[in-house]
Amino acid sequence: MTAVPAKGRGATALSAAPAGGTGGAGPGPAGAADPWRAAAAVLLGNWTGASTVPSRTLYPHQWSWDSAFVAVGLRHLSPRRAQRELEMLLGAQWGDGRIPHIVFNPAVPHAAYFPGPDFWRSAGSPAARTGGYGGAGRDRGTAAGARAGAPAHTQTSGIVQPPVHALAALLVHRADPAASARRGFLARVRPRLLAWHRYLAEDRDLGGAGLAAIVHPWESGMDNSPCWDGPLARIEPAPAASFRRADLDHGDPADRPTDLDYGRYVRLAADYRDAGYADAGVAHGFAVEDPCVNALLIASEEAMAEIAAELGADPGVHRERAARLTEALVARLWDAGAGIFRSRDLRTDRAIEEYGVAGLTPLLASGLPPAVVRGLRDTLAGEHFRLGELPLVASYDLKGRAFDRTRYWRGPAWFNTAWLLERGLRGHGAAGTADALRRAVLDGAAASGFAEYVDPLTGAARGARGFSWTAALALDLAAADGGAWPGPGAVPGSGAVAR
Amino acid sequence: MPDQETRAAHPRTPPRRKADRPAMFSLAAQEQLLPGDTLQQKWEFAQAAGYDGIELRAQGDLRFAARLPELKRALADGVVMPTVCVEMLHFFGAFDPGQRRDAVAQLKSQLSVIAEIGGVGAQTPASYGMFSRRLPPFTPPRDEAGDRAVLLDGLAELGEHARREGVTLFLEPLNRYEDHMVNRLEQATELIRATGLDSVRIGIDSYHMNIEEADPAAAILDNAPWIGHAQVSDSNRFQPGAGHLDWPAWLGALRAAGYTGWLAAECRLTGDPAAAVAAVPGFLRRAGA
Repeated sequence: MTAVPAKGRGATALSAAPAGGTGGAGPGPAGAADPWRAAAAVLLGNWTGASTVPSRTLYPHQWSWDSAFVAVGLRHLSPRRAQRELEMLLGAQWGDGRIPHIVFNPAVPHAAYFPGPDFWRSAGSPAARTGGYGGAGRDRGTAAGARAGAPAHTQTSGIVQPPVHALAALLVHRADPAASARRGFLARVRPRLLAWHRYLAEDRDLGGAGLAAIVHPWESGMDNSPCWDGPLARIEPAPAASFRRADLDHGDPADRPTDLDYGRYVRLAADYRDAGYADAGVAHGFAVEDPCVNALLIASEEAMAEIAAELGADPGVHRERAARLTEALVARLWDAGAGIFRSRDLRTDRAIEEYGVAGLTPLLASGLPPAVVRGLRDTLAGEHFRLGELPLVASYDLKGRAFDRTRYWRGPAWFNTAWLLERGLRGHGAAGTADALRRAVLDGAAASGFAEYVDPLTGAARGARGFSWTAALALDLAAADGGAWPGPGAVPGSGAVAR
Repeated sequence: MPDQETRAAHPRTPPRRKADRPAMFSLAAQEQLLPGDTLQQKWEFAQAAGYDGIELRAQGDLRFAARLPELKRALADGVVMPTVCVEMLHFFGAFDPGQRRDAVAQLKSQLSVIAEIGGVGAQTPASYGMFSRRLPPFTPPRDEAGDRAVLLDGLAELGEHARREGVTLFLEPLNRYEDHMVNRLEQATELIRATGLDSVRIGIDSYHMNIEEADPAAAILDNAPWIGHAQVSDSNRFQPGAGHLDWPAWLGALRAAGYTGWLAAECRLTGDPAAAVAAVPGFLRRAGA
């Protein structure tokens, strides 16, 4: 998520209280007494007609991994909307298979978000095509994403986010298999998911060891994690005068990356763009193997096996890929002494010695060696994360040099990582820990007004409120928990959908 | 206490739901959809199918008031009749002053009757079949200011009457081909706000919303405090389940809006009529009702 974290605005259109009224409707839609209602109101309010914005006023476009997490929760509200959410995202896929991290809404002014369509120029600068892009005549009609197969009909960014999409597609299918089959959902999304995984496994295997690499900190989804401080320090920042940040219009500068770091983000993205978004044959200023990206690729390959089986295709190839990826992940990124997976900086070919929440997410891989699982569980409970003593998991080492309980991915606890860890722990038989984490997500999400992230020590809400994936993933865990938040039974069969 | 005893003692108690999936809404079918010669026979069928009540229909010429003895007998026999829907060819928004006066008189009587049998309200559109801006001659004989004045006058008089009777008047937006004045929930909300009466609320209808609202679920949330009643039929005006509406999203929005009232099937039936109407409660419950 690269965007404008801002404070205090819920996402629903329901802020106006009724001026009295004894009709059928109750005392307003987002009563804390009924968290299901409140979560549903967030998701219905953030729906734009074809997809969901992460937050109604502050993140006005479609984000890649946000949409996948949103679909996981939306399936409990409307399986059809959940399918469309993923279909619309996949509809902006590039010819080389990449799923862009942002799909821009053409109805939103370009200046509302930076870096916007005029920066990425995936399909050419729209302003250039209308003759209004001052001083950039040479860009008229040129599309930076043309060689990589960016769609001509839609403006997108050119970088990616972690591949949670196939897992989301499988879960969405399971919410209503009959409706999914009737709409041909899996059959339509599978070729696109195959292309996405091929892109990551081949074009992004920059280290040559079988893992997918990222070429920008934002591709990790954990934009300003201290894990990226070292690799970023080598980057010559773009001059501050060469771009205008939009994030500070809404966010408190104290919670945002510094201008210097922002200049580095811009430099990396501009260099990638100017190389035509090519992955091979260019020297990337930033190239890292991230454990969360690869853990999600493994979980998604495992989901692809299930999807293949549903469609009568061969699941074996996906299981083999998942196994190979798991093996490479352990061989390349596991630090047995530290009990955590480390990111690997491909520029130095060395591990980045930080404790980030990304390093715990390989719990999602079903084929993880038991000793690794034990190590991760010990680390979760140990001094760096203190799960059990604290209800949720910090995004970064509580003892770390750069720990900051309020600053975005430098300490705050996020609900999507909690959802991933809950799933991983449950998959490895740690039901008690998973149950407690699930309860913490349900309580923390509702109590914070579905905040974007929370202070890991106090649970105090930070960032945007009415944040879509917080509401969605809480709904999903509530549905899995039977009566935790009594739902309306929107899903055929029972309240507990196969996970 | 055993459930069977509970239900026998309190016939209005809806069928028991699983504890983890509480029923949010009570379900009704309009009386003409149900097989049977009497309300009692219709109620027997309705209960067996999973309905919690019957929505009545009220014809003009004070014929609904003339049914009062029949309705009171049905009430004594345990028939649940929460609402009534007007079934006439002229309405309180009519161009003709005489028709307007008659429509208001009819509706006042209907509100009194539904109050007398313990119901919650009566539903009416502003007009039906009188004029459409989408059909020739395209321009109505009364301008928008004139429409608004007539509607506010009617809503004020009817709303006051409803308030005195302790019931609610439900204003139903219709699609553009059936009415030219109130098509979307926000239009009904604006009029209701202007009347300032708690006794006037919107009676939403899923079929009309499907045509008029850009996002029916969002419209429900946007107008949440003003929704008092809900009628259901599918995209093709057949029974819920026979068309392509996104029912989980629509019902989820009603629940998120805090709505706890009735869903009344007002629709045509496709397939075997008895089987079609009997299938509605199961379908709606499965979709989240």
